[in-house]
Amino acid sequence: MSSTWMTTRAWLLMLPLLVVMVAVIGWPLVDTVGLSFTDAKLVGTGGDFVGLDNYSNMLSSSNFSRTLVTTTLFAVISVAAEMVIGVLAALLLNQEFRGRAILRALMILPWALPTVVNATLWRLIYNPEYGALNAALTQLHLIDAYRSWLGEPGTALAALIVADCWKNFPLVALIALAALQAVPRDITAASLVDGAGPFNRFRFVILPYLAGPLMVALVLRTIEAFKVFDIIWVMTRGGPANTTRTLSILVYQEAFSFQRAGSGASLALIVTLLVTLLAVAYAALVRKTAGSAA
Amino acid sequence: MSALEIRGIRKSYGSVETLKGIDIALQSGEFLVLLGSSGCGKSTLLNIIAGLAEATSGDVLIGGRSILGVHPKNRDIAMVFQSYALYPNLTVRRNIGFGLEMRGVATDERDRAVNEAARLLQIEALLDRKPSQLSGGQRQRVAIGRALVRNPQVFLFDEPLSNLDAKLRLEMRTELKRLHQMLQTTIVYVTHDQIEAMTLASRIAVMRDGRIEQLGTPEEIYNEPATLYVAGFVGAPSMNMLQATVTGGKLAIAESDVRISLPARYANAAREGAQMVVGIRPEALRVATGAATDLSLPVEIEVVELTGPELVTTARIGTQRLTACLPPRAQVAKGEKRSLTFDEAALRLFDPSTGKALPATGLERTTSH
Ligand SMILES: Nc1ncnc2c1ncn2[C@@H]1O[C@H](COP(=O)(O)OP(=O)(O)OP(=O)(O)O)[C@@H](O)[C@H]1O
Ligand SMILES: [Mg+2]
Repeated sequence: MSSTWMTTRAWLLMLPLLVVMVAVIGWPLVDTVGLSFTDAKLVGTGGDFVGLDNYSNMLSSSNFSRTLVTTTLFAVISVAAEMVIGVLAALLLNQEFRGRAILRALMILPWALPTVVNATLWRLIYNPEYGALNAALTQLHLIDAYRSWLGEPGTALAALIVADCWKNFPLVALIALAALQAVPRDITAASLVDGAGPFNRFRFVILPYLAGPLMVALVLRTIEAFKVFDIIWVMTRGGPANTTRTLSILVYQEAFSFQRAGSGASLALIVTLLVTLLAVAYAALVRKTAGSAA
Repeated sequence: MSALEIRGIRKSYGSVETLKGIDIALQSGEFLVLLGSSGCGKSTLLNIIAGLAEATSGDVLIGGRSILGVHPKNRDIAMVFQSYALYPNLTVRRNIGFGLEMRGVATDERDRAVNEAARLLQIEALLDRKPSQLSGGQRQRVAIGRALVRNPQVFLFDEPLSNLDAKLRLEMRTELKRLHQMLQTTIVYVTHDQIEAMTLASRIAVMRDGRIEQLGTPEEIYNEPATLYVAGFVGAPSMNMLQATVTGGKLAIAESDVRISLPARYANAAREGAQMVVGIRPEALRVATGAATDLSLPVEIEVVELTGPELVTTARIGTQRLTACLPPRAQVAKGEKRSLTFDEAALRLFDPSTGKALPATGLERTTSH
C-alpha cells in the first residue's frame, strides 16, 4: 500500500469531522475576527469598520490589565495548590491501608459533580448568615463575628480559589495515582537499601515517573483555570468591586452586559491568543519532560 | 561465627505459608546459590535478608548480630535486582554512587569509589550516560557497580542475569565469578538456572515449596542428590529414573526381564522385595561393546539428537525411557537394539515412597573431593 494512498485515506476518513469542525468552530471564529474590527453593538446594525481600535483600546484599558492580573493570580495559585494537594493525596492513597478503595472512590466526587452544584455548595459554606465556615471558625475562636467571605474584596478571590481547588485537585490526584502504579517496586526497594529517605525517594524514584503525567495535568489545568468562567459566575459574578473578574467574565460583560459586540470579540480573541501561547509553551515543555523518564 | 545466619525463617502471606522454616549458616566469603523453580520462595527469603519483607518468625544474623528490625539501609548489605532497578534520571555515575551519596560520603571519596568500581566492571566510558542509553548487559553492570561501591558484608543477587541473552549471560557469569574470587565477599544469589548455580556456587541450597530440599556443594548436589526432586532438578538432561524391585539380591527393572546388580553399598538398606527408583545420569551411560554383564541395559534406540558436543539419545527399556549422552561419533541409529552400560559407582537408589536417597554404606562414595 503506497503511503500517499494511506495519507489520502486518512484525510477522507477525517473529512466528516473536519466539515463539522469548520462549521461550528471555524466559521464562528472567522465571524468573530470580522466583528472585532467593527464597533458593532449586540443588537442593531453590523457596525462600522474601526480597524484595530478595539484592540488598542482594550489592551490599554486599566480594566483589561487588572483583569489579566486577577486571572493570572487565580490560575497560578489554584493550579499550584491543586498540583501539590493532588500529588500528596495520590501518595497517601497509594499507601496500603483499610478503606483505601472507598477513599479513592470518594475523592473523585468533587470533580465528578457539575460545577454549578459545586459552586452552589461553596456559596452555602461561605454564606455570611448561616455558612458552615463562619460557624466552624467562630467555634474555634478564630473569628469574632460572621463574615461575608464572598462579599469582601479582601477574601473573595481566595475563597474562590479554595472552591476551585476542591473541585479540581481530584483530577491531578487521579492522574498522579495512575502514574504511581508505574513506579517499579524494585527501584523503590533499591532506594531503601541505598538509604534514601522519603524526600530523596520522592525526588529520585517517584518524580521521574510522575513528571510526564503531571506535566499533562498542569497543561490541562492551567488552560482551564485561565479560561475560568462558570464557578466564578455562579459564586460572585466577578464581584465584589470586580476583584474576582477574570478575562472570561470581562468578555461576557463587554459583549453581553454592555452589549459591545465588536469590543467583546476583540477581547475574546486576545484571550484565545493568550491561551494558545500557553498551550504551545506547554507542549514544548511536555515534549522535553517526556524524554527524561524512560 | 557465621558471616550470615538464617535461623528458622518462616513467612506467611495470609493463610499461605511461603517459607516453612529455613536454616542456613554461611562462612565469610561463601557464595551461596538459592536454586529452585518459580514460586518456591527464593525472592521472599532474599527480601527478608535485605529487610524488604518481614519474616513471620525466625531470625537473621549478620556477623553474629540479629538484624531483624534493623532498617535495610543499616544492614550492611547490598542488593542487585533482576530488573536492574536503576534510577532513571540519574547518570550512571550518580546511580553507582547513590548509596554513598545518601550516606553523606564526601564527593571526592565517592568519585574514587565509583571510578574504581567502573574500572572493575569496564564501564568507565559509560559514566555520564543515563540508564535509558545503556544495553541490558551494561545496565546490569551498573547495578552490580552500585552494590560494589558500598563494600558491604553481604551481597544479595536476585536473578541478576535472567534478563540477558544467552551469550551475555555466560559472559556476566564469568565476570561475577572473577569478582567474587577477587573480593571474597559473602554472596547470596538467587537463580532458577542450574548451570549458573553449579558454576558460581560454593554451596547450593535447592529450595522447593518453601523448604530447603538439600544444602551442599555443587558436587554433592550433583553426585549425591538427597532426594528424587534434587536429582531431577539438577543436571540437563535430568537423571534417568527407572522403576525397579529388589529381587534375589538384584535390581529387577519393572516391566522388563532386565536385572542389574545391586551395588554392595546399598545391600544393607535395600530389603528384598522393596520398590526402588534407580537413578543413572545420562552422562554416565555408554554403549556396551563386549558381552553382556550384570550392568548391561538392553535398549531400543528411539531418538538420536546431535547437540554438538554430544549425541543425546533416547532409548526404551521395557516400557520405561532412558536418556544417554553419548560421544558425538557413537554409532547408534533409530530403531537399533543396543546395550548400554555404566559404572556401578554411578548408580543411585531412591526410595519411591519417601522420595529420599537410600543411605549407602562403605567407601564407594563417588563424591569428587
Ligand atoms: N506480597 C505477596 N503477597 C502474597 N503472596 C506473595 C507475595 N509475594 C510473594 N508471594 C507468594 O509467595 C510465593 C513465593 O514467591 P517468591 O517471589 O519468593 O518466589 P520465587 O522463588 O522468587 O519465584 P521466581 O523464580 O518466579 O522469582 C509465591 O507463591 C508468591 O505467589
Ligand atoms: Mg523471584
